Amino acid sequence: MKKLYYDVSKCLACKTCEIVCAVGKSASKELFSSITEDTKPLTCVKVKDAQGKNFPIACRHCKAHPCVDACIAHALSYDAKTGRVLHDKDKCTGCWMCVMVCPYGAIRDNKKLKVPVRCDFCADTDEPRCINACPVGAIMFLEEDELESREQSKNKK
Amino acid sequence: MNLKAESNQKTKNNTMKNIIIIGNSAAGVAAAESIRTQDSKSKIVMVSDEPYFAYCRCLISNYLSGSIEEKKLTYRDEKFYSDNRIELLLDKKVERVDVKKKKIVLAEKQELLYDSLIIATGAHASMPKDLKGTNKRGAFGFRTIKDTNDILELLPMSHTSCVLGGGLIGLKAAYGLKKRGQDVKVVVRSGRILSQVADDKAAGLLLSRFQENGIEVLLNTGVSEIIGNGDVKAIKLENGKVIGTSIVVVGKGVTSNTKLVRDSDVKIDWGISVDEYMRTNIDNIYAAGDVAQGYDLTTNSSQVNALWPVAVEQGKIAGANVCGASLKSKGSFGMNSVEFFGLPLISMGVFEGDYETLVYYNKEKQVYRKLVIDKGRIIGTLLLGDIANSGLYFHLIKEKADISKIQDDLLDTNLSYARISDFVRQDEKIYI
Ligand SMILES: Cc1cc2nc3c(=O)[nH]c(=O)nc-3n(C[C@H](O)[C@H](O)[C@H](O)COP(=O)(O)OP(=O)(O)OC[C@H]3O[C@@H](n4cnc5c(N)ncnc54)[C@H](O)[C@@H]3O)c2cc1C
Repeated sequence: MKKLYYDVSKCLACKTCEIVCAVGKSASKELFSSITEDTKPLTCVKVKDAQGKNFPIACRHCKAHPCVDACIAHALSYDAKTGRVLHDKDKCTGCWMCVMVCPYGAIRDNKKLKVPVRCDFCADTDEPRCINACPVGAIMFLEEDELESREQSKNKK
Repeated sequence: MNLKAESNQKTKNNTMKNIIIIGNSAAGVAAAESIRTQDSKSKIVMVSDEPYFAYCRCLISNYLSGSIEEKKLTYRDEKFYSDNRIELLLDKKVERVDVKKKKIVLAEKQELLYDSLIIATGAHASMPKDLKGTNKRGAFGFRTIKDTNDILELLPMSHTSCVLGGGLIGLKAAYGLKKRGQDVKVVVRSGRILSQVADDKAAGLLLSRFQENGIEVLLNTGVSEIIGNGDVKAIKLENGKVIGTSIVVVGKGVTSNTKLVRDSDVKIDWGISVDEYMRTNIDNIYAAGDVAQGYDLTTNSSQVNALWPVAVEQGKIAGANVCGASLKSKGSFGMNSVEFFGLPLISMGVFEGDYETLVYYNKEKQVYRKLVIDKGRIIGTLLLGDIANSGLYFHLIKEKADISKIQDDLLDTNLSYARISDFVRQDEKIYI
């Protein structure tokens, strides 16, 4: 099951990932027209700095998925086959229980639309848009064991 | 909690068991799902005294307000029970548990034997003993679809509704009734609303929202009687005043449904006492959800935290342990997320008392954020108007993390998982 990982030594906090993410979540999926949409699209990934480095974060689709357990509307569910946390907009009441329990702080509240802002690995396309948009290649979409080999080769350099 | 990994090593369930789950809601469903992740053979029987498939109890106020239809309340549909081979007994009340003979006794003396029993009977709306007239037509607790349908049926004949109690459930009912065009009065004995989830300041800010939106809130006002000849006509206040009304919703907290084990050896306090494995004092009997009383890690005491996510977590644990796992709960704590008239509030753990606090308040923006710290760890938080990063605080509370090194950054909007990750258990790698 592929997940997003980030190479912190490369990330420059240019926030291109945030922009392509927001545009990808807009109705038009075009940068210029998306800005003028009634409800501004929000990014699911956020880059924050801590101790001099930049750390992107987005929903981990984590194995524990406390958001699914906390969802009082059964809008969130976990698909064990794909390892993804799924969200059903029609069921969601915007109660923010998921925001309350996300250990990564990776779910935010879209106050206007009353739905959580949460990475779905760009379910409408083959791959998350952020990976190819990142100008420094800091974002990786990998299987867990692939990550280990990447890390080992990085440490050798 | 990594259910599968932990339980796989420990489960030895070659034998087929008879498992009975009493209760078909958050805790019961979670227990059944958890059992089926590791035991496909055992027989599971679920019993509920309500006539519906599991539904989203927390959303009955959305149904009351008209923002969702009744059929959209379904939490698990027919397919769930058939896929998981659960025998579902609906509209059947369990009268008592015979602990010695390992059987449950239903109405009309129907009996069922169990090898393992999970009691997930939840709670009901409390009716204060000193309040007269709660049995009149038009007086309701607010707990079930049936309560909601009964209220909805009376609405066309009613102009004014009164809600007794300023807690979350009472206020959710008030909100729903207002949306239905009722003239709503909330009568609260104490000096503030939401005393279980908000401090004076947060409660004050929320109170203004209610008043601005046309819901009258009478504080410091006791009610002595619900008046009427069969049908509710009015409520009588302790100060002698009478308010005409045909609907009264009693929102005076909830009481765990422990009656079925009252005459057994199962240990009861407010709820059924459970340990960190969700075991009661009797072998093979577990309890989970609103009926269970267990360790609260923020107050360091034994509590019934009658909350949906707590019920799900406890149900999961009970289910796994019935199958031979030894999953442990870290303990629960009060936690809630609500929004009234556009003002969101997240409340967790301890939010008052003689503790160190970190506070941010912006009157103009109506933002109030408060962290309560005890001996270098966060034991509670209130986030009003801006709920960003609440999950990070949740994580720090749950992990009992030592936050002394990051205390100055905690209220910074730039706070991130990366900043706290050194102080909590890291379940997975994210960064290289
Ligand atoms: C209006 C409202 C709003 C709420 N909002 C929130 C919220 O925002 N966040 C939150 O965390 N929580 C909220 N809650 C609380 C939440 O609904 C409960 O914590 C949760 O439902 C507990 O689940 P449970 O499975 O323990 O019990 P319950 O949901 O109470 O279910 C108990 C089950 O046991 C069955 N049962 C009981 N006694 C017997 C018997 N003797 N025989 C057979 N069956 C029996 C019942 O039929 C039912 O199926 C709200 C509750 C209400 C009423």
